[in-house]
This record gives sequence, C-alpha cells and structure tokens, in this order.
Amino acid sequence: MHTGTHPLQKLIHLAKTDKSMLSVLILIIGIVSWLLLTPFAPWFAKQSMQRFHLQTNSFLGWSCQFPIPSMYNFANRYKVEDYPPGLTALWIDENDERFINHFPTRCFTFADARDYYLSHKQNRWITLETSYREEKLVSKYHLKPKSADQEHSTQTVFELIRLSSTFEHE
Amino acid sequence: MNSTQLASGQKQLTLAHSLVQMGILISLLWKISFFIYANEVYETKSIRDLFFPDLLQSSITLRACFLGTIFCTVVNAFSTNRSLQRSCNVGQLSGLSLLCVHQGTYNDMTFLTSWWCAVWSWWIGNRFDIDPPRELLKKAAFLARLIVSVIFLGGAVGKWTSEYWSGQVLYDIYFVDKDYWTFNYLRSNYNPEQLKWIALCYSRLVIILETLAGFGLWLLKDRVSAWLSILLLILIPLSSNLLLFSVTGCLIALSSVGLLTIKPNLGIDQY
Repeated sequence: MHTGTHPLQKLIHLAKTDKSMLSVLILIIGIVSWLLLTPFAPWFAKQSMQRFHLQTNSFLGWSCQFPIPSMYNFANRYKVEDYPPGLTALWIDENDERFINHFPTRCFTFADARDYYLSHKQNRWITLETSYREEKLVSKYHLKPKSADQEHSTQTVFELIRLSSTFEHE
Repeated sequence: MNSTQLASGQKQLTLAHSLVQMGILISLLWKISFFIYANEVYETKSIRDLFFPDLLQSSITLRACFLGTIFCTVVNAFSTNRSLQRSCNVGQLSGLSLLCVHQGTYNDMTFLTSWWCAVWSWWIGNRFDIDPPRELLKKAAFLARLIVSVIFLGGAVGKWTSEYWSGQVLYDIYFVDKDYWTFNYLRSNYNPEQLKWIALCYSRLVIILETLAGFGLWLLKDRVSAWLSILLLILIPLSSNLLLFSVTGCLIALSSVGLLTIKPNLGIDQY
C-alpha cells in the first residue's frame, strides 16, 4: 500500500483507489458519526430508543439502523403483567424491574422469553423503559391471543398492539 | 514480486478469507441448540406485528436464511474458486442482512457481528483479482481492525450513561443470579454490598476498555491491534458468558487477519 503512514492518509488513499472499500468506509463513517453524536444530540439517542422499542416510524427507517452496533446499550428495563398496567401497581414492587442488556422488546419476541411469557395463551401487558443520559422512553404493549379457538391448537398466534410510547426528559 | 512471493501471497489471502469464513461458521453454530429451540418456539408461538413485513415474521424465512447462510459459509470456507467465493459472499451477506431485521433474530448480536465479517468478505472478494496479494492483505488487515473498532465503539457509546457507570446494569444482568463460574464464585465469597462495588469496578473497566478499543485499535499496527483485539474478544466471554463466543467468534477470526500480513517470504512488514 503506497500511502503515508498516518491512518487518515491510508483511509483517503484506500477510498480513492478502491470503490468497494469506499462504500464500506462511507458506511463506517456514517455509523461512527451517529455514535459520536448520540451522547450529545438527543435526537440520535431518541432514534436508538425507538429502534430498541420497535417504535420507529417506519420499518424501513428501523432496518436502516441495523448495522449500528448496540451490544449492551442504554439502560433497559421491562415488566410483563397479566393485567393492564395500572391495575396491578398497588401490589407489584417497582424493584421487580431489572435491567436487561439491549433491545428490551426481546422479552416477548426472542426465543426463551417468548416461550416463557406466551406459553399460557393469555393476554399479556408489557411495559418497557429505556434511559440514556437525560432521555427516557416508556412504551406499553398488549399481546392478545388472536382467537378463542386456539385452546386446543398446538400453535398460538398473538397480536401485538402498541398502546403508547412516550419520551420523558429527566 | 517474483512468482514464489505471488503464490505465497495468494495462499495468505485464501487463508485470510477462509479464516473469516470459519469464524462466521463458528459464530452461527456456537449456540445451535438454542437456535433449534428458538425455531420450535417461533413455530408454535407466533406474534402478528404490523411493524414487520410478513416475510420477516415467518419462521420459514428464518430457517431458509439461517441454513442458506450456513451453506454459503461452508462452501465459501473451502472453495478456492474466486467467482464461487464472490457468489457465496453475496448469498451470505443477503442471508445475514435478513436475519438482522427478522422479528425472531434482530436482537441477537451474533448475526450483526457475522454481518460485519460478511461485509469484509464481500469487499475482499471484489478485490482478489485486482490488487497485488501483499497490498490486499495490508488493506484487509486495516479494514478488519477498523470494523472491530466500530463494534467496540458501538458498545462503549451505549454505556456512556449513569446506569452503566454505577455498575447497576451489569449487577442486575450478571451478579444477582447468573449461573457462571466467575459470578458463582463472587456470590459465594462476597456480600451484596461488596458485590455491588465489584460490579461498579467491572462495569467501569468494561466502559474504559471498550472506549479505548473503539477509538484506538484501528490506529495501531497490524499485529499489535490483532493481538489486543483477540485478547479482549476472548476475555469478554470468558469472564461473563461463554455463549458470547457466538458474538465474538467471528470477530476473533477477523482480527486474526492482522497476523497474516507478515510472512518471511513476503519481506518485513513496512508499517
């Protein structure tokens, strides 16, 4: 590689001489810019929170964010209840909500959690809370078994209803 | 460059490409029993969500993408035919892209790190017959450490928040009841208050290391960067959860590309 020794000189040389590399570098620069703006510009943090809650305005907008690495990102908590939120607040201890690593929606979409919470073919109400610095997003969902004739079926279909999603500034 | 050096360079390139393919394969197969179980769950408990297109809620799509990606990866790892490798790279990248946005797998970072390795493979596949081997190896090592840096940076930035800095998040996830040797040992030897302090130190160490790796790995020389990345990527699952090797396995292979740039018959590394 006949370039200067400085990494930025290498980057520029690579981008000039290799179109495939240029496309990967554009992607990387876009992602790094997004990441570095996240702590300082609330808009970026909010987009990521909506992404983690599957609340982005469009699927296309959500899927465009998938290359952004998000391992163990933000402070995420969830609560799954048998009754609509509020009805159980008198006896459910807030401390029951523990942190999970990323994408709190995994508590009902991902394998083991889906199996655990959806085994009884009954309604579930889910509250997700994600915080990042001064921003917080709280979203509520209802998972509703689709029809009563599922009682004897081995396959259960649930309908996901989004009840609310609200940002709070702390 | 004489013909011996050229042939040796080609061998190194093939080795680098196969190594990354093997890494992706290990990542995909590391928790295969979990994926088989997940497949059964998705088959019996489906969630209709208008947010996802039907295709990306279907367990058939999931199976096809997962198996198709494995097929492409296996062929890719053992093939030396450049055009077949290029086709497999495209198939693999497509399969992993769909897995990254499927309702059943979007949150599993195994597919995201594998996707980044597939991007690297797609790029090198496009350059096999264009760049001289030695130059391509240097570029491949540079892109590999750039990708690993971005992944660390993504982990770091998401933790720059008080809940991680206080150790509370990792305390809840690992220290309270995670059944793993490090946490079992700590729980049996320390009280909850001491555990919280250890979690705070652990969490801050993770944040600092990820931040340094995110900003610094790509600036280092090939071999130094490769060894540091490999060390970190092995330490993360060893200290917290062996299942995380599915996330880091392919990145360990990708980082190893930096070790292939120096070969005695290619001359001393210039960087």
